Formats: sequence, structure tokens, C-alpha cells
Amino acid sequence: MSDGLILLFSVLVFPGGLFALALGLLIKGVDRRVAARLQRRVGPPLLQPVFDLIKLSRKETMIPAQSSAAIFRWAPLAGFSCMVLAAAMIPINGVYRPSPELGDLLTLFYLLAVPAVVLMLAGSASGSPFGAIGFSREMSIMLAYEGPVLLALLSVAIRVGVGEGHLISLSLTEIVQYQRVHGPFILDPWMWPAMLTFLCFFPANLGVLPFDIPEAETEVLEGPLLEYSGPSLGLFKMMSAVKCVVVLGLGITLFLPNGPDGVLGLLLFAVKCTVLAVLGVTVVRTGMGRMRIDQAFRFFLKWPLALGIASLAIMLARS
Amino acid sequence: MSTYKIPVGPLHVALEEPMYFKVEVEGETVTGLDIQAGHVHRGIEYLVAKRNIHQNIVLTERICSLCSNSHPFSYCMALERIGGIIVPERVEYLRVVADEIKRIASHLFNVAITAHLVGFDTLFMQVMETREIMQDTKETIFGNRMDLGANRIGGVRYDLDGEGKAYLAAQLARMKAPLDEFRDLYETNGSFLRRTKGVGVLPRADAIRLGLVGPVARASGVDYDVRRKAPYVVYDRLDFDVQTLADGDVWSRTMIRLREVKESVRIIEQCLRDIPEGPISIDAIPEIPAGEAIAKSEAPRGELIYYLRTDGSDKPARLKWRVPSYNNWKGLQVMMAGCKVADIALIVGSIDPCISCTER
Repeated sequence: MSDGLILLFSVLVFPGGLFALALGLLIKGVDRRVAARLQRRVGPPLLQPVFDLIKLSRKETMIPAQSSAAIFRWAPLAGFSCMVLAAAMIPINGVYRPSPELGDLLTLFYLLAVPAVVLMLAGSASGSPFGAIGFSREMSIMLAYEGPVLLALLSVAIRVGVGEGHLISLSLTEIVQYQRVHGPFILDPWMWPAMLTFLCFFPANLGVLPFDIPEAETEVLEGPLLEYSGPSLGLFKMMSAVKCVVVLGLGITLFLPNGPDGVLGLLLFAVKCTVLAVLGVTVVRTGMGRMRIDQAFRFFLKWPLALGIASLAIMLARS
Repeated sequence: MSTYKIPVGPLHVALEEPMYFKVEVEGETVTGLDIQAGHVHRGIEYLVAKRNIHQNIVLTERICSLCSNSHPFSYCMALERIGGIIVPERVEYLRVVADEIKRIASHLFNVAITAHLVGFDTLFMQVMETREIMQDTKETIFGNRMDLGANRIGGVRYDLDGEGKAYLAAQLARMKAPLDEFRDLYETNGSFLRRTKGVGVLPRADAIRLGLVGPVARASGVDYDVRRKAPYVVYDRLDFDVQTLADGDVWSRTMIRLREVKESVRIIEQCLRDIPEGPISIDAIPEIPAGEAIAKSEAPRGELIYYLRTDGSDKPARLKWRVPSYNNWKGLQVMMAGCKVADIALIVGSIDPCISCTER
């Protein structure tokens, strides 16, 4: 097979596209089930997110009369395809190595911002006032978390770069390789500030409690998603499922990529994603209420930012 | 930044009943508020004049669901006052039991919804699970989970024998541990306090000026409870504390309701202890003469006033009631001044508005 075909396969089937979608939907199902059990409910079947998608695909997409129809229609597709591309950039130790042509850590960081931007676009294009509020909230919270998480990413990149003998390493494959040799960063206390920052980033980027502020159901009625229905809404749900895998996979790549080769490695990757989702998302979201946007903004500019700066300072001091 | 309008309601996930708020917002801050009502007007004041006094017990019970016992209760009291009917003592105790059971269920419902509105669904589930004990109790004793059908003219339609009393006491005992458990959560959980402390503040002076009643007024430090100020049935013989807090924010209103639940449990336990033997109804209802009367009671949301005028026929000439939410509604303008968009639903929920009662 030619390189181009392999690249296409990695984006569309494995580990991007189909594989990431399936894993993401499964993680969403586990998340809903575990959340239900934590609240002493029965909960939906594990495949409920899949059933939801099937249902949505059979429905009609209503386009509000006052919306900008083109943006409204294409925004979900843009978001979903960017996430599929991002999923192909996540290495799986011993199984998959992303081609350098796809991009590095910084490209991934940019791609990770796309869903939020797409939601903002969709919210403002829908012509609904709740979409507009969702837009401003999404923007605020994104501004708040992007800074700290970039510091955490840079800390890892510098750590690996210095270890490998150059200043900074932005290659995800190299980050995995370094940890294979020197042990995972999760065991290194000097890396914990960066890891904690990244843990705060999870719920904010994935839009779950306590940071589901732009889509808060009881406040702004799902915000940007309010006017969406049918297959378009389904695309947003698929985008969110794949994003889940990308963000979790990035966390695993940065701090605990180790594992066996082959099928076992793949299974371990899926298990790690699920465990991380349950601990970092489900338990957090069932354990607390929603923050107000000003509180969330202040939170991110306090703890995660301080941790991010501390982590970067540690890396610079030790290099 | 320019202002724009957002519609909250008439149908909104955070509102239990239809109510329409036209909110003017600047960024995330509310700068203007216009409340429109009238979506659940059913013309019940007209309907009661078309039905006889017995049918009206059924009708008033259906004005609203959460305070469904307070309405027929007050209606019966007004009617008995005109007819000069003295109800047996056992009836008075049984009426208190029914009313307090409804109060527990109503307060717990609102407390749960408050947790849901701040996004704390686990707490919501926990409170609703505890409330389910009271729902089961209602179903066992009265046969229904919402409308108890407990009242009739000159008596009640249910009785508590030894087995019933033991069951009720056991159900109340089952509630105590979870009640304490989640009261601690409401008092100490950071994510709940963060959203409710200092939000939607109603100062005491405003509460008095606007004539607010019930838990909303008591959370602003107004020590007004009909059960204490103008005792009806046997409330003057029961030992309970009127709960007040000083801050007047959403958190205080939630805490007042939680504490009143504990007081209600105490009241029912005293009733079970003191209830005398005797009939549960008078033998025959005398002719109701022409006349007028007022009856007041403390519904879960506050003071409920019934005015009844009869003309000697079997239909009321006029029946009018003033519900607590009518007064409390006014407080929203004060509470919402300058609040955040995120807090609108929370503040509305905190006055526990009963739209069906108010608009009937």
C-alpha cells in the first residue's frame, strides 16, 4: 500500500474515524452508566449513545429561519472532521505511530480548539439568544483553560526535548518513545503539576460538570446546541465522542503511554481511556454542581495557571 | 456592551410550570425583568360557583398539586365556620397529619429542584429518593401519591388505626438519617454554597414591604408563620419552632425548607402520640346558612387565605382565595435585580412558585 493510502486509512478507519468513534461512543455509554450507578439509578444500556445516533440519523434537520443557513449546516461537519483528523494524530504505544506529515503537538493543540470554535460559530449562526450566550460563555472558558494547558503541554515537550538532547520535542511519537525508555511521567513527582493542570482541562474541554457552562441545560437550554436537531445534532454528538478519545488519548500519551505491543496494547489503551474517563470525568461530574462562568474563569486563572507556571518553571530549572 | 432580550419561558426546562420572563441582559448580567403570567388560568373561581359544596372539595384539591391538601383544608374550615360546625378533636389531629405529610413532600421537592438547578444532580437524586418515602406513605395511607382526598365537611376521609400509626412512625424514623445526611451536604458542599450563598438576596425590609410570606419571608428574617401567629386546628397544642434565617439568599430559603421538614416530622410524631380516640366525622352536616367567613392556613409556600360567602343554597355565592405565591412573586423583582443569567432559574425556583395556585 502506498503511503497516501495508509495515511487515509489511519485518518478514516484506525485509529481515527471509525475506531475513535466507536471507542468514544463506548466511553460515553460507560460514563452514563457509571454516573447512573453513582446516583443509585439503573442507567441506560451501554450502547445508548449509538441508539441515540441511529435515532437522530432518521430525523430531519430543522434550520431556523433566522439562522445563517450555510454556517449552521456546515459547522458540525467541520468540527467532526477536525476531530477525526486529530484522532489519527494520537499514538498508541506499540500499535500505532502517527505519520509526521499529520503534524505535531502544536497542530493537535490547535485542532483541539476547533470544536469550541465550531460551537461558537454554530451558536451565533443559529440566531437564538441562548446560542449567543453560549457563544460568549464558550469563548470565556476557552480563553481561561487554553493558557494553563499550553503550559502543561510545553512542560512535557521541554522535558522530553531536554532528555533527548535538543531543546524541545513536539513530536508525540518521541514523547511516547522517551517514556518507554525512562518510565511514564505519572511516576515522576516533578511532572505532577503538569498532570493536575491537564486533569482540570478534561472537564472544561469536554464540556461536562462543573464546566458545562456554555451548554448548561437549566440555564441556557444547551446553548449553541439548542436549535440543532436530527443528523446535524448527531454530528455534534459524534464530534464530542471522538473529541473524548482525542483528549483522553492525549492525556495518556503525555503521562502514561506504556504498555505491551499488539492487540493487548490496543486493549490496554481502550481500558486506560475508559478508566481515565470514569475517574476524571464521571466521578467529577456526579460529585459537584455547576460553576458560574465568572467562577470558572477565576478558577482557571488561579489554580491551573499557577500549576502550569510552576510546572514550566520546574522544567526550565531542571534542564 | 449592548443589551438584548432573552425569553425565559413560558416553557423552559428549569421551570416546573409555565411562566414567562422577558429578561433584558447585558453580557451575563440581568438589567431588566418583565414577568408575564396567565398561561394556566382555568377559571376555577367561576367553576366553584357552579358546583355544590361537596363537589368543591374535589375541585379545590385540584387547583394545584404540591399544596393540594391546603386548599380543601382551608375551604372546609371556612365552610365549617359559616355552618357553626365543631369538628371532633380526632379530626383536627388527622388534618394536621395530612397537611404536614404534604408539607414534607413539597419542601423536599423544592430542595431537590434547587440542587438540580445548580447542576448537582447526584444530590437531586438523593433528596428525591428520600422524598419517595413520603410518597409511599401517602399512597399507603391515603391511596394516592399526590391528591390525598383527606378532607370532607366536618371530618376527614381517612383514619389511622394502631397499624397505620405504627407504619407512619416507622416511615418517619426511616427519613431521619438521610435527612441529616443531606442537610450536612447542603450546609457544607462547596459547589452548592458557591452558587447559592449571596445569590438572589431579599432584605428583610423588602420582604415586609412587599408582604412576602412563608419560607421565603422566614429566610429573610420575618418571623411569620400562620401556625404560630393565628393557630388553627390543634397547632396551639403542638410543640414546634418557627425557623428563621437572616440572609435572605437562595441558600437560606433552601435551609429553611430543610429545617421545616424536620419540624414537620416532629409535629406528626406529636400528633401520633397525642391523638385521642373518637369519630372521624360529624354525624350529619347541618344546613349551611347564608353568611361569610375567612379561613387561614399555612400552606407549604406560606399563608393561604380563603374567603367564602354562602347564600343559603348548596352552592357558594363566592369563593376567593389568596395564595402565598401571589405575594412572593413580587419579591422576584428585588431578588433578580442585577443577577446573572445563570441564576435566573435558580432564583425563581427558590421562591417555590406555584403558578397553578396563583392563576387558577
